[in-house]
Amino acid sequence: MAMQMYMVAFNGDFSQAASRAVQHHLRQCNGFTLMVMKTGIIAAFDDGMVPIVQSHPDVKLVGGVTLSPNGFAADRLQRIFAENLARQLEVKAAE
Amino acid sequence: MPNVGAELASVPFGKMIYDMASAIARSQVALDKASIQLVKVLANTTFDYVPDVVETLMPNPRQVKGSNGQPILNSNGDPIVVTGVLVQTDVGTSFPLTLLQAGVNPTFYAFTNSTIEVKMSISSTQESSNTFSAGVSVTASADFLFASGSVTSHVNFSAANKYSYSVTGSSSMSTTLAPVPPPKNMMPRFFLVNAMDPAKVTISQS
Repeated sequence: MAMQMYMVAFNGDFSQAASRAVQHHLRQCNGFTLMVMKTGIIAAFDDGMVPIVQSHPDVKLVGGVTLSPNGFAADRLQRIFAENLARQLEVKAAE
Repeated sequence: MPNVGAELASVPFGKMIYDMASAIARSQVALDKASIQLVKVLANTTFDYVPDVVETLMPNPRQVKGSNGQPILNSNGDPIVVTGVLVQTDVGTSFPLTLLQAGVNPTFYAFTNSTIEVKMSISSTQESSNTFSAGVSVTASADFLFASGSVTSHVNFSAANKYSYSVTGSSSMSTTLAPVPPPKNMMPRFFLVNAMDPAKVTISQS
């Protein structure tokens, strides 16, 4: 199993409650939210979790995405992803 | 006797290969449809992109003041001036950018390698045993006017044959799914017209 980047598209129109519910669901699946938009969330999670994420009632589509280095704003997106990921990582003290 | 060739010939390889290829084809179509749907989502997802933020540092000299608010003077009686910095920020005009333009590409998948493995074990055992026994007994008696005799014989024969034949088989199918670059025909083309210098407009495609 490997962590991959996915676009999780919302079902229907955007709502704050639905967005939060999907983000919470992703967290329960040991996933990380990289960027939130009105149409969906770019997230990173284990590829074995795809069916579970897909099963959420507010999720319409889950599809793998990659970041093309030739994209117009790829470097900026990469920085945004890294910053959001860093906020969610829990650093445990060494024993 | 077991005929290994006949047993192997009875394995429906053709049907197995067809079923597997058919399942792969159906899966491939479903995966491609999902990826194309994702292209639409990414193409319709826009965010405001700020191309640049210019920060200009300018001098901002100011006098050092004491607790009473009055300027602090040096030994010559002149006010002490420090070089301050004024940061002027100029945020460029934002414009909508789709995730596709920004560089988020959908992942396409392709089945690269498929394997069908059939294992068959044929075992056959045969045991046969025969027993044979025979005996003859002769008795005779004679008297003055009478004599008699008898001959008896017996033959015992038994035969036992045991024959067992078993065929066990198992099959496994495996396939590898690998991400591949998006097909050119499924991705929109991006043209960049650089008109920064009206005298030298360039067009590039990515």
